Amino acid sequence: MYNLHVFDFSRHFASFYAGQEIFMKKSMVALLAGISMSALIAGGCANKEAVKKEEAVVPPVAVEKAEPATPIEAVEQAPPVEQVKPAQEEVVSSVAPTAGEKSAVAESSFEIVYFDFDKSDLRQDARDVLSKNAETILKSFAGAKIQIEGHCDERGSAEYNLALGEHRAKSVLKYLTTLGVKAENLSAISYGEEKPAVKGSDEGAWAKNRRAEFVIIK
Amino acid sequence: MKIFLLLLLLLSPVSLYAQSGYIEVAAPVNRQLKLAVDSPRSLDLPPDAESARMVSDVIAYDMNMSGVVIAESRSQQPAAKALSLVDIDFVPWLSAGFDLLVRSEYSLKNGRLTIEFRLFDVINRKLITAKRYLGTAKELRRISHSFSDEILRALTGQKGPFTTRIAYVSTQTGNKEIFVMDWDGHNPLPLTKNGSINLNPDFSPDGREIIFTSYKRRNPDLYRRSLSNTVEVATSRRKGLNITGKWSPDGSKIALALSKDGDAEIYTLDKDGGHPTRLTTNPALDLYPSWSPDGTQLAFVSDRLGKPQIFVMNADGSGVRRLTTSGSYNVNPSWSPKGDRIAYSRMTGGEFSIFTVAPDGTSDVQLTFDGSNENPSWSADSRFISFSSKRSSGNGVYVMRADGAGQTKVSHGKGMYYQPVWSAR
Repeated sequence: MYNLHVFDFSRHFASFYAGQEIFMKKSMVALLAGISMSALIAGGCANKEAVKKEEAVVPPVAVEKAEPATPIEAVEQAPPVEQVKPAQEEVVSSVAPTAGEKSAVAESSFEIVYFDFDKSDLRQDARDVLSKNAETILKSFAGAKIQIEGHCDERGSAEYNLALGEHRAKSVLKYLTTLGVKAENLSAISYGEEKPAVKGSDEGAWAKNRRAEFVIIK
Repeated sequence: MKIFLLLLLLLSPVSLYAQSGYIEVAAPVNRQLKLAVDSPRSLDLPPDAESARMVSDVIAYDMNMSGVVIAESRSQQPAAKALSLVDIDFVPWLSAGFDLLVRSEYSLKNGRLTIEFRLFDVINRKLITAKRYLGTAKELRRISHSFSDEILRALTGQKGPFTTRIAYVSTQTGNKEIFVMDWDGHNPLPLTKNGSINLNPDFSPDGREIIFTSYKRRNPDLYRRSLSNTVEVATSRRKGLNITGKWSPDGSKIALALSKDGDAEIYTLDKDGGHPTRLTTNPALDLYPSWSPDGTQLAFVSDRLGKPQIFVMNADGSGVRRLTTSGSYNVNPSWSPKGDRIAYSRMTGGEFSIFTVAPDGTSDVQLTFDGSNENPSWSADSRFISFSSKRSSGNGVYVMRADGAGQTKVSHGKGMYYQPVWSAR
């Protein structure tokens, strides 16, 4: 005999279900056995009554409440780039909060540095580029805050590429400091594979996306 | 009578044999049980055929995905007394080859819904389980999913996950935003709308909050929001990466990768973002933690051996050991809620496939063989795995059973889909 369970979906009560658990694994086998045996008996034993007498079912109604669905407040869909009205936010971290938006200007005075697949070490051509960039910084951008962006191509795991992109940016940063650039004027950020320079799924596109770029932060 | 029983034997495709009342479930001779889901009968006039059909379609879909039975949605629409055991004519169901039958009745008065379901054993003419739900018309779909949970519980002892949700990343608005949908892809809703890059959502254990990484303030920072309001609270805005956040099973901590001390390392934080505790101390890149269900261990990705592999450590950072020993690029660990398997993704020749492995590293099994498949995430009952896939049948969020069977696309709509995660409730 099974109790009739009534669930009020709109009320905030825990289910009483756990207490009613009477079904054990063995019963599943017994159920399957029962069904199959009955089918067998019904088919094979033509002389026997395969149909049992039906019992009237009078289940007692137990009122039970179930958890309602977690209400979701969806944000309204909007076209991209539109800014949302800033919500109240607690800044819990130990980093000083950024004062307003930093506008980042991609600086064409600096050449882009490229990397081999899955690597963050600097090839000789990369070092040559960085020497040139260091000179440019020391000559014309001595006081500027420069952010080095590390990027990856689309292959590989997106999460691992966030870490790899940062490793690239940081190895560029370290090398620049050995060339005389002040460390406090440099910062590193990773965009992983999230901001490709070139669309495409061939080695030509990939090679152009494995890069470090320089951005002046005002 | 004899002729009828003979016909019954001929018509029903039964080829079972029983040895002293015991059915060996693994034997190839056994067939799957067939479940008929009859669409609910309305106690009001006029009946809403579309809603009625939806109820039986939802239950049949859930039960087919479970692999426990073969289910069919039917519309027999009995004239009266759909639930009464004495009055149901089981013969047509029996001769159509069904072993199980769901019948239901509902009433919708002044927006108030009452619906009662009953699951019958057709052959033995017995009531297996019954439930009555009170709610609103809007809740009809979710209530149907809830009865699917109950059918699985009655048949196997463990209830289903069919009222839970999947959060994911989608580019349908042009950039990567976080969305949430029912497990079967219905009711997709946007959770972020900041025009920035939003990644790797994770649910709290009670399913009421999510954490995610966003570049909305020009750095990959970790945010938290409740599903029931739109306020996004900055949980970790430390210098560098604040990525791949994972809520602990008891809800008290968040494990994530921070690079504030150099390279990406695994830390735990309080769920409010304070008290960072560093767990990994290796110069390699360490990220993507996944908690064991008892909260005592973490699986994670590290390239300390050159390329990314999966390791396991105690929740205090001690006892690091290698988990994956096959393949040269293994990522995305996800520990099953049951604790006996860890799902992950392996890249071979540029494409990803999903595997599961025992926590001791043995019994490595490949589950996907088509397209590129990443970011596996388990359902609460460990029966299913959701994942993102790029394959010929389309890019999207897919669901499969834990043994790799039944791979089905559940997401609908344009754009690309990434990093799905399944809620526990």
